[in-house]
Amino acid sequence: MTGGSVASSPAVATSGVAAGPIGLRAWLRLSDQPFGAILGFLLPALLFYLAFTVYPVLLTIYDSIFRVLPNRPATYVGLANYTAVLTTDPTFWQAVRNTIIWASVGPVTEISIALLLALALYAKIPGMRFFRIAWFTPVLMSYVVVGIIWMWIYNYDWGAANTLLRFLGLGQLVRSWLGDPSTALPSLILVTTWMWTGFNMVVLLAAFHSLPAEVLEAAELDHCGWMGKLWFVMIPMVQPTILNLAILSFVGKMKVFDLVWVTTRGGPLWSTETVSTYVYRRAFDWNTFDLGYPSAIACIWFVIVLAGVLVLSRIFRRHQQLEF
Amino acid sequence: MGFGRPLGRGLLIVALALYTAFAASPFVWVFVLSLRTTTEIYADPYGLPLPPHFGKFADAWLGSSYDVYFMNSVAVVFSAVAIVTVVGAMAAHCLARYQFRGNRALYFLIFSTLIFPPQVTIIALFQILIEYQLFDTRIGLILVYVSLQLPITVYILESFFRRVPSDLFDAARIDGYSEVVIFWRISLPVAWPAISTTIIVNTILLWNEFLFAIVLISSDSKRTLPIGILKFMGDQSNDVGMVATGLMIAIVPVVAIYVFFSEKLIQGMTAGAVK
Repeated sequence: MTGGSVASSPAVATSGVAAGPIGLRAWLRLSDQPFGAILGFLLPALLFYLAFTVYPVLLTIYDSIFRVLPNRPATYVGLANYTAVLTTDPTFWQAVRNTIIWASVGPVTEISIALLLALALYAKIPGMRFFRIAWFTPVLMSYVVVGIIWMWIYNYDWGAANTLLRFLGLGQLVRSWLGDPSTALPSLILVTTWMWTGFNMVVLLAAFHSLPAEVLEAAELDHCGWMGKLWFVMIPMVQPTILNLAILSFVGKMKVFDLVWVTTRGGPLWSTETVSTYVYRRAFDWNTFDLGYPSAIACIWFVIVLAGVLVLSRIFRRHQQLEF
Repeated sequence: MGFGRPLGRGLLIVALALYTAFAASPFVWVFVLSLRTTTEIYADPYGLPLPPHFGKFADAWLGSSYDVYFMNSVAVVFSAVAIVTVVGAMAAHCLARYQFRGNRALYFLIFSTLIFPPQVTIIALFQILIEYQLFDTRIGLILVYVSLQLPITVYILESFFRRVPSDLFDAARIDGYSEVVIFWRISLPVAWPAISTTIIVNTILLWNEFLFAIVLISSDSKRTLPIGILKFMGDQSNDVGMVATGLMIAIVPVVAIYVFFSEKLIQGMTAGAVK
């Protein structure tokens, strides 16, 4: 080891000082690096990764072309599950529609409100520390807690939403927010917006604070007004952060399960069914117990989420090129 | 700045206060409800907790299996966080410190699982845990939780280890320390700020975890708090006051951690989002 740290020529790799197969060492381009230590440090994480991520993903793909019933050998069905999901399953498409709405409305509302709030705090409002901490709180709560609280807020008789409407004299708007198929999904989207806006705001605020002061001063010298400075300098400069937040929010909404399961279980009339709740329902909550079909949905969904993330980063990147 | 005028500033503060009320009032309401009986709540849902019924906390804790759920959550979360911290730190140290072919590919692979929808593993994990007699066991849930938090842990720690000057390690190496001792005596202490951040973030995230718990745990005696609350809610859905007390018991530990470590928690949760 002492010799290895001085020389870094390939000859060291074949000198056989440290343990490990020579071919593998050469392939890994280890030269003077300790093979045993690297393997030892990585092995536990790799084992967890292989056993609880890679293997399950592969098994899901494998399951998706089978009919998997408990205590019975799986029967091969080819792509039948996929064709069934895509052509003859209206509930799946309803779930896709709801989830896509959630994943496109969610990021836009969260990030735009968060931008306004972050700018307000950036204008050096007193009590900034307090606001920051208070706004971040909802995101730290479990969806179970949040879901139950909001079920009460949306309660027809004594919920805060209807009480407030009656107080404001808008009694005709009073309704059972989660019980009405036309308002259930927007009501739940409001809950995730409530939860995540503070998070986005804190991140944006940090991004604003890390902007180089010289650029902002230069903009001021060029007689750039407040709005101009905001629109032409600050927002373009935090665009990478906005992209990250958009992707994070998008992926989060594409996965949404807990909140729906706690509040509406996908109802009424599938108006809040998401792909996640539908997969769960088909896998664990139906008496069919076939795990192949929901596995096929999971695979399709995985591809869609991946495509969505790629498209999002593509759009933003092109936009960025136009800006500069 | 354009908001220097007192009028603009005043409007701004009003807007911020309104949003703060919107963000915080649900929690204040639950706190108030948790101190009132259901009869009082139905008589006036927005009344003050006078007199406050602190005894409800004891009732919720002892009257249902709440103590069991709470202790299950503590056991599962602490074990999972302990394991993921050690395993993640070792991997992050290795990926940041040693150069070898496939290093970046491996890092990217682990990192990319952050965007995986959980459905793509959960059905198979259900089958796998059944096959290895780990279904409906706390150990099975702990192992799954470790793998669930591994990517974010490696991500946060790797970026920290990368910034530690390598002179520190080279000096230790010349002094004849072994790689394990270097990790234990130098990497871990130096990275303590980042490690404590991952510990706090992982604790909160796993404390709140719901989907994997509901799929992988079936017996009442092994339920963690989130699925326990749901059961509690299902059993006494009309007893609003009691459910509110149950919610507060789940909220209090999170708020306690937040009060002491707010900056660290915010830092950790937002890690990676700021670029």
